[in-house]
Amino acid sequence: MSRPLAEHELSRILALVPWIVAHPGRPKAEVADRFGISVAQLESDLDLVLMIGVPPYSPAEYIDVDAEGDTVTIRLADYFRRPLRLDPAEGLALLATGRALLAVPGSDPRGPLATALEKLEAALELPDLVVAIDAPEHLDVVRAAADHDERLEIDYWSAGRDELTTRRIDPTAVFFALGEWYVDAWCHRAGGERLFRVDRIRAVRPTGERFEASVGAIGPGEVYRPRAEDPRVTLSLPASAAWVAESYPAETVEETPDGRLRIRLAVSEPAWLARLLLRVGPDARVEEPADLRTVSADTAARIAERYRSARAGAAEAPS
Amino acid sequence: MSGGPNRVERMLNLLACLLDTRRPLTRDELVVQVAGYPPEAVAYRRAFERDKETLRAMGVPLVVETMPSGEQGYRVPPDEYFLPDLGLTAEETAALHVAVSAVLLGDQTGNGALMKLGGTSDASITPIGTLPLEPALPVLFEAFRRRAPVTFEYRGEPRTVEPWGLSARRGRWYLVGFDRAREAMRTFRVDRLGDDLAVGEPDSFVVPDGFSPDASLDAEPWQYGEDPPVTARLLVDAGYGSEAAARADRVVEERADGSIVLDFEVVNRPAFRSFVLGLADHAEILEPESLRADLVTWVTSIAGQERKP
Repeated sequence: MSRPLAEHELSRILALVPWIVAHPGRPKAEVADRFGISVAQLESDLDLVLMIGVPPYSPAEYIDVDAEGDTVTIRLADYFRRPLRLDPAEGLALLATGRALLAVPGSDPRGPLATALEKLEAALELPDLVVAIDAPEHLDVVRAAADHDERLEIDYWSAGRDELTTRRIDPTAVFFALGEWYVDAWCHRAGGERLFRVDRIRAVRPTGERFEASVGAIGPGEVYRPRAEDPRVTLSLPASAAWVAESYPAETVEETPDGRLRIRLAVSEPAWLARLLLRVGPDARVEEPADLRTVSADTAARIAERYRSARAGAAEAPS
Repeated sequence: MSGGPNRVERMLNLLACLLDTRRPLTRDELVVQVAGYPPEAVAYRRAFERDKETLRAMGVPLVVETMPSGEQGYRVPPDEYFLPDLGLTAEETAALHVAVSAVLLGDQTGNGALMKLGGTSDASITPIGTLPLEPALPVLFEAFRRRAPVTFEYRGEPRTVEPWGLSARRGRWYLVGFDRAREAMRTFRVDRLGDDLAVGEPDSFVVPDGFSPDASLDAEPWQYGEDPPVTARLLVDAGYGSEAAARADRVVEERADGSIVLDFEVVNRPAFRSFVLGLADHAEILEPESLRADLVTWVTSIAGQERKP
């Protein structure tokens, strides 16, 4: 959400004037650093502040800015002595991100973040915003390994392929996104960087080996984005399945003349697609590619067979 | 406009006047007193409108009153404008900085908030996670804060709800509130509310003591609904049971082959069916017969597609 330039400059000046008023004589470099601007920009802002006054505009009604040397002091700015109150989006950002970070395992429940949030909530007269972050079984071990550059051996269930594999990984970063914890790691079995869901790690074993730390390319912001090489699938779904477009990053969504939805998605694994289509039901169809058209029917047939043979088995058992 | 004050300077002067004044000022008084307004009426009226809009968009509490003369008078009450001193220590401010940098809310940075709290040192912080930012969320947050009911369309129906709790779980935001028409608690996914919400009068309701959104949120999708309650018994194969067990109401049996039998209290059959389908052929509904038959019918009709031309 980008803001118009004038609003942006105004916001900055309305924030830094009260701070300077409250902290006279500080070095310009310190002030500039605090507010994320250059000293040159700060000086330009201060030139503007000099021009602010109120009727009857005698010298006593203009803001007094003393910025000759390396420090800055502001006086006579009574009407700007405090910053503008937080708007709803800002209050939300502080509380939501603060509560989320507190919910991450290992956060100090009584540390400065917790007390800061309590003060904010009291000042904004706000009851708790609750953010729950579930911790999968092996989260702590994986995070510790990532922190110390230790290689791990994991038993991992790949949902896409519906198989359990054992892999040696070099974990670089652990983060949460889309409600799940992920570990970005170099996978020796795959020979490349992979993103693993921590809750799909069935077992972890230390290897005793360490690896050379590097910066992974995948961070929390990238979890949303399908990879360029993932095949694109075009689905035709009933209108009641609009939740699919809400729940997954669909590239295109269009209504077709028959009242159905045509959705195009990146899909890296057929087994994932099969499970999605099963949930949508009999009215879902894969339009393209042709070789995925029977993927949900195949899985559905296996499930139906399981129930049939269970029934048959029960019929044969002695009652 | 060449020469003279630029727009930022004009707006700072306008705001200073509006904060400093003891009585409301009319537009005609303001455009004369504040440097930078063009002399022609059409132009200064338009400029003044733009400036008001910008101040309002920033959240400045611009108050309009009708003066005895019949004209509109403007001022900004300082006690509504000012952010109160929150009494945050340097450590606490730094902790908030870490939070807004480490957790990304949508693609926002929460930087504006930090600036109002006195800025921050520019230590670089690795993001540890993201939370989604839904369009409805800031509106709901404000309504929640001010105890105002919200009205929105949900699945085609208008609903009026008192926001009692706002929570995030499994990467989704939920509004927990009192549905006035149904006179009962309901939970809504915020991403399904769209962005067209109406907010009612503040201080319209009281949240009962002891209410906890947490308890409501522990519920699973099949626990929200109006179907007649039923206990579903599910057999899950070895290797797939631990995630399902974490979401079940009871573990009935752990079998020798590693499979597990679980019970679920269900009031939303389609949601439960979706959950079971997620386990593909690694799970089997044992009871009741109605849910089992429903699932078999469902998958049989999908399997039948193979034979369609």
